[in-house]
Amino acid sequence: MNPSTDEPQLKILCEDINKTFIQKGHIEVPVIRDINLQVAENEFLVVLGPGQCGKSTLLRIIAGLERPDTGYVALDGFPITGPGPDRGVVFQGYMLFAWRTVLGNVEMGLKLRGVPARERRSVARHYIRLVGLEDFENHYPHQLSGGMKQRVGIARAYANSPKVMLLDEPFGQLDAQTRMFMQHETVRIWEQEKRTVIFVTNNIDEALFLADRIILMEGKLPGRIKQEYVVNLPRPRDHEDPGLLKLRTTIAAATELVL
Amino acid sequence: MAYEEVVVKKPLLLRILPFVSVGVFLLLWEWVVVSGIVPSVLLAPPSKVFTLFIDKLSEPNPDGAVLAVHAWTSLQEAFIGYGLSLLVGIPLGLAMGWFKIVEGLARPVFELIRPIPPIAWIPLTVFWFGIGLTGKVFIIWIAGIVPCVINSYVGVRMTQPTLIQMARTYGATDWQIFRQLCIPSALPMVFGALQIALAYCWTNLVGAELLAADTGLGYLITMGGRLGRPDIVVLGMVSVGISGAILGFIIDCLEKKLLAGIRR
Amino acid sequence: MSSSIANETVAATSGQEGFSFYRLVTNIYFLYAVSLCTFFLLWDRVAAWQVFGDSLARPHAVAGKLYDLSQVKFAGTNLAGHIWASTRRVLVGFTLASAIAVPLGLFMALNKYVNAVVKPIFDLFKPMPPIAWVSISILWFGVGEFSKIFIIAIGTFVPCLLNSYNGIRLIEPELYDVIRVLGGNRKDEILQVSFPASFPAIFAGLQISLSIAWTCLLAAELMNARNGMGFLIKRGMDTHQPALVLGGMVLIALMAWLSSLLISRIESRLCPWKRSIDNL
Repeated sequence: MNPSTDEPQLKILCEDINKTFIQKGHIEVPVIRDINLQVAENEFLVVLGPGQCGKSTLLRIIAGLERPDTGYVALDGFPITGPGPDRGVVFQGYMLFAWRTVLGNVEMGLKLRGVPARERRSVARHYIRLVGLEDFENHYPHQLSGGMKQRVGIARAYANSPKVMLLDEPFGQLDAQTRMFMQHETVRIWEQEKRTVIFVTNNIDEALFLADRIILMEGKLPGRIKQEYVVNLPRPRDHEDPGLLKLRTTIAAATELVL
Repeated sequence: MAYEEVVVKKPLLLRILPFVSVGVFLLLWEWVVVSGIVPSVLLAPPSKVFTLFIDKLSEPNPDGAVLAVHAWTSLQEAFIGYGLSLLVGIPLGLAMGWFKIVEGLARPVFELIRPIPPIAWIPLTVFWFGIGLTGKVFIIWIAGIVPCVINSYVGVRMTQPTLIQMARTYGATDWQIFRQLCIPSALPMVFGALQIALAYCWTNLVGAELLAADTGLGYLITMGGRLGRPDIVVLGMVSVGISGAILGFIIDCLEKKLLAGIRR
Repeated sequence: MSSSIANETVAATSGQEGFSFYRLVTNIYFLYAVSLCTFFLLWDRVAAWQVFGDSLARPHAVAGKLYDLSQVKFAGTNLAGHIWASTRRVLVGFTLASAIAVPLGLFMALNKYVNAVVKPIFDLFKPMPPIAWVSISILWFGVGEFSKIFIIAIGTFVPCLLNSYNGIRLIEPELYDVIRVLGGNRKDEILQVSFPASFPAIFAGLQISLSIAWTCLLAAELMNARNGMGFLIKRGMDTHQPALVLGGMVLIALMAWLSSLLISRIESRLCPWKRSIDNL
């Protein structure tokens, strides 16, 4: 688990990434600038930053949903040119297919890749069990609570057996209790099914609870990487842990308040 | 912030295509009639419709009135009927949404009347009011009132229950909650009804005039049909379409103004 | 205390109180009954006192007229024949138009070049009320079945196309991203997202179209027909029989209501996932 001892393999590489959006058809807004990032295999990386700091855009670039204006993004040494099933994405707004049941949502990726019905069903059931929704597999999304919806989102991404999991503020719409619970669940699921994870959040405690390493973004556009922190604490962590609190103070001091 | 400005253009083809499309459509229309593929007793070419339009600005024959008179008649009927339907429909819908007694008394009758197509009232209105203004106003009123009631009703019903409960804890009376809370929160829905009601009114106005009228744009269309003059029919249809679009545009502007007003 | 208010969640507790006059007048079913009784009584009285001269029939006269029509042939066919004549026109026109308009609307929303060609022409015709086509339709197709079907099809076309178009336009774009990150291509996006997601909007369009279809049918039949419910109304108008006119109105309202019910049923069968969104 300690990245310094067993020489981890490089999974994701971002070099000099720049991205500018065009708003209202004619105004150029630089969103992220000069991002350099390396993520090791099975590392849990958290990108931490306030509201509008380009962190979601960075994730979308790694997902292949946006093309960077300049720079190079690679997975396992191969350049990323578009979205693909080797990267699973969990979206902030759940983005479940309202017209499919939980099972239908989870097996969608396998279906798109032409896996036969019986096999994809058993794979999907495995991941539904992993996220603890086995009693709800025939429910439609609108019958589920927010936390359950996001479990479906996680199971859907996992079911495609991606090499990398990308989570874009996945718990942003949940209440504090559910959010905490989902963080525990995230750690549990991740320890059962180890993946490289990039997790975007605006919540320091969430970052500290989950991360092997925290990337702190600057608090305004264009987004730049401000600091990096390694969190070398055993899991499951305690929010009251003195080491964690000390790190929290450091990070909080480095985070500028944007009003 | 001083962001750079750049101009992003749609592909040339996409910008040109709409004009090409309409142009080809008009030319094709002209051509099929002029070349005789479609006999001229069935369809008038755009050019002929346009000359007729110029003529009809000053020439009352053969249908008895100049275009402006027809249009004015229709607009008058539409506005009175539309105005009345707003005047009755919106308060009724709002009250139905909030007061149980009003809902209980008004809803069954409303549901009985609602599925009757408004123009089905034409014979009765002719019996009752003759073919004058009143009968048509009645039909337009019936047509416009339905969306007004429904939207106002739904608007009140969608008021946040927590807000209502909060108002109650402050000791507000039913009437205060209705006036201060439900009506304002229903307003966007109510404004949405303006546009729908207008479209309904305009459609049914044409229907009413086709059957029971002696002036008006709908009557112009009917007369064109009776006289076997496709140019008059098409002119009538185009006038109805254009004036409907203009009315819709005016209401749209009004709606945006009003909405901006309450957002402020 | 608050049971006179319609959308009050707190009101549920009032059920334990005893019988009182106040509770009776705020009971919704009691009010419904009062409302309907008053309506029919008022109708009957207004007709009996000849407020509109002899131009309003009493409710029982209308019912009697409908019963007579169902027994004897009128203008060549009995009541069921008239109902079927109208329904068939609506059915054919509605099916024809929606079969073209829905796919065209979807196609326009999915392909911007198709959109650039079709949309402007569609926008030319959109503001024209379908009833305005009645005269030209008779000019083109005579007084037979086809001119009526044509009007119904024209009226149905616009809302069908508009709704299926908007149904796709209003889809959350991130849903397409989901398909792409799961490894799907453009075809999957359309099959797995565009089509199912636009279903409710398409059905809303069908629902609007249907009510317009009945209006158009009526306009066409009032102008010119030898059978159908609009014909009954027109004949009642020409021969000054208010009972016949009202009978026709009742029938057409009933059919319009039944057909819209049918569409809702089909929708809730085809989109089980939508049902509880409405009841929210």
